[in-house]
Amino acid sequence: MKKRFVKWSSGLMGALLLASALSACGSNNGKETESSSSLGGSESASAALDAATSPVTLKFWSALDPSTDQGKAIQQKVKEFDDSHDNINVDLQVLSYDVMHDKLIAAINAGDAPDLSWGLSEWFGEFNKLEALADLTDSFNAWSDKDKIYPNVVEALTVDGKLKALPNYLGIRALLYHENILEEAGLSAPPKTWDELLNNAQLVKDKTGKEIFGIAGAGVRSPQELIMYLAQNGVSLAEKQADGKYKNTWQDNQDQLAKASEVFQFYQDLLDKGAIKPDAKTWGWEEEDQNFVLGQYAMVVDGTWIEGRASENPEGMKDVKIAPPIYKGSPATFMEIAPLFVYKSKHPQEAFEFASFLMGADYQKAVNPSAAPRTDVVDGGWGKDFMALASQGVVFPPVSLGGITQAMEDSLARVMLKKEKPEDVAKQLSAAINDSLKNSGELSGS
Amino acid sequence: MLTLKEKRIRRLAIGFILPALLFFLLLNAYPLGQVLWDSFQIKNLLNKAVDGFAGLQNYKEVLRSEYFPTALRNTVVWTVISVAGEYLLGIASAVALNQRVKGRTLFRAMIIVPWVVPIVIAGMTWTWMLTPDYGILNIWMVELGIIDKPYYWLGELNTALLTVTFVNIWRSFPFYTISLLAGLQSVSRDIIEAAAIDGAGVRRRFWHIVLPQLRTVSLTIIFIHIIWTAINFDFIWVMTEGGPLHASETLPIMIYRYAMQEYNFGQASSLASMMLSFMAICIALYYFASSRRQRG
Repeated sequence: MKKRFVKWSSGLMGALLLASALSACGSNNGKETESSSSLGGSESASAALDAATSPVTLKFWSALDPSTDQGKAIQQKVKEFDDSHDNINVDLQVLSYDVMHDKLIAAINAGDAPDLSWGLSEWFGEFNKLEALADLTDSFNAWSDKDKIYPNVVEALTVDGKLKALPNYLGIRALLYHENILEEAGLSAPPKTWDELLNNAQLVKDKTGKEIFGIAGAGVRSPQELIMYLAQNGVSLAEKQADGKYKNTWQDNQDQLAKASEVFQFYQDLLDKGAIKPDAKTWGWEEEDQNFVLGQYAMVVDGTWIEGRASENPEGMKDVKIAPPIYKGSPATFMEIAPLFVYKSKHPQEAFEFASFLMGADYQKAVNPSAAPRTDVVDGGWGKDFMALASQGVVFPPVSLGGITQAMEDSLARVMLKKEKPEDVAKQLSAAINDSLKNSGELSGS
Repeated sequence: MLTLKEKRIRRLAIGFILPALLFFLLLNAYPLGQVLWDSFQIKNLLNKAVDGFAGLQNYKEVLRSEYFPTALRNTVVWTVISVAGEYLLGIASAVALNQRVKGRTLFRAMIIVPWVVPIVIAGMTWTWMLTPDYGILNIWMVELGIIDKPYYWLGELNTALLTVTFVNIWRSFPFYTISLLAGLQSVSRDIIEAAAIDGAGVRRRFWHIVLPQLRTVSLTIIFIHIIWTAINFDFIWVMTEGGPLHASETLPIMIYRYAMQEYNFGQASSLASMMLSFMAICIALYYFASSRRQRG
């Protein structure tokens, strides 16, 4: 019996040793440098020579759509860069944003992040907190085109004086409106304020049978719209405190709480006064865009990408015009800075060289003619009207947003689906934001 | 005392078992052990400054969560209605396809289609068909007078979960059909004919002869589907992401939110461990019950 146990236990030990060996084989690349540094003299010199002569491969994850002209242009430009640089190979992988986010989280925690990737502005605070992003301050300051990037964009990507990401493209939001629908209702210009919008809702409905406005009540775009309306009424999600951390202060300040409540009241009024379709309370961005493109309602706060969808309804989209978003206290719009993340990699120099190519005028003219983060690219068409709003753009605070954007989405559902009191919803959202900040260690005073 | 030949056979047997054991340890035992371990740790990827042993704190936090009772109730509703609906549709279609009708082979081939469609494609297609503004199902229902105006089935609090459940039933019932059809084909026609001669009607023959003989296959597929459905993530995520306002959120969606949105792997692991324990208890009860039944 004892012998059998010994045999089995030695078998098990063997299996575990093999497992350890296997897992060691799969360990992250970051250890390569360490092991190569322990080589003997001649081997070390040879390895160094190999490293100097063999090209560096940069892993680049993108969410491009290969079926679109833009996607094809990106692939072409990346290939041009690859062909013109003997010392750099670019390994381009195409993933959807959802898949990319989860893969990035796994890769960052396994110490195997790509060298560069696209991303959403909502991920910036998280990835910075995960200490995955390279400090690009020195490389950026040495870059000859640095003054061509919008200063407020650079500022938004800077944390504690360090530039932690680069802009890939800008998704500034403007008010898009179907001029014909408004004219049919007898309006010569779009409303400028929330009150004007609400006061004209019934008129447009009566004259045209269509709603005056569209919103995204759910999904990734709903928090982007909510932060814009909050900013238009002079409140922000979280403010930086003296200790360098953040806090939502609505419940410490009755005036702020009242203003936040007014924003939720505005959402309720949009629904109750028929300014939006009843289903818009749970629309995602797909429904919001699709219904606007099809001319099912008159106005929406949206991005330049709508121009690319004109082919779906060419006649119906001919009358679309651009104006600044409606507001209450002060004009503001959401400025989505789609980041280009450069991770802590073994090839920082090559990674920045490629990143600067992606931010260059040539690439941006070919890929983002209406949404470039550079001041010298967008000079006409839709892009010009959008870029004119760059100075009033608001962005998310640079904190971990996973729990916060979910709480924002929940708050819209509470106010529009469950019809809870706006003030109660504002209080709940305030508490949820601070809970989320506390969980991620970013709450002031924690 | 083993002979040389027996020892050789034993070594050979161990050699064959070892790869499977190794894979089990690496791919099953280790991750499961890690999840259990993490459930007692403070493990928030965004707040690495705070770590260490959490005791039962993660479990307490999860149980105290505002949305835990909703997610638990949704999981039960989703699982029970899905499995019951799938079984009823499955047995009805299996009985129909077991009859000698013209084109039976074609019908048998067609009924498998929903099951072979990838979940993402099925989910997105149904989402489009259910859209209030341009979804074909709403248009049909309005034209047929079933509803007055288009309805946002996936966007309303009281219909989102039931709508996804309906789509899940549509997708999964063919598995029951195939399994039960195989079972039906093993039921002796002689016994059924003898019962008919003795005066048993269609319903009596079904309830007292056919159904008892499907007992083993029925219990097996129901049991498997209770587990598969309770832990299902993708169908709900593709169609509603658990919304609106968590109305279709089940426990696996909640685990995903803890892990991939809040990066709180301690709490995600504690909820996963609770689900794991519950499933393990169910499996153990089923195992003991079926062992006792076999012993007579």
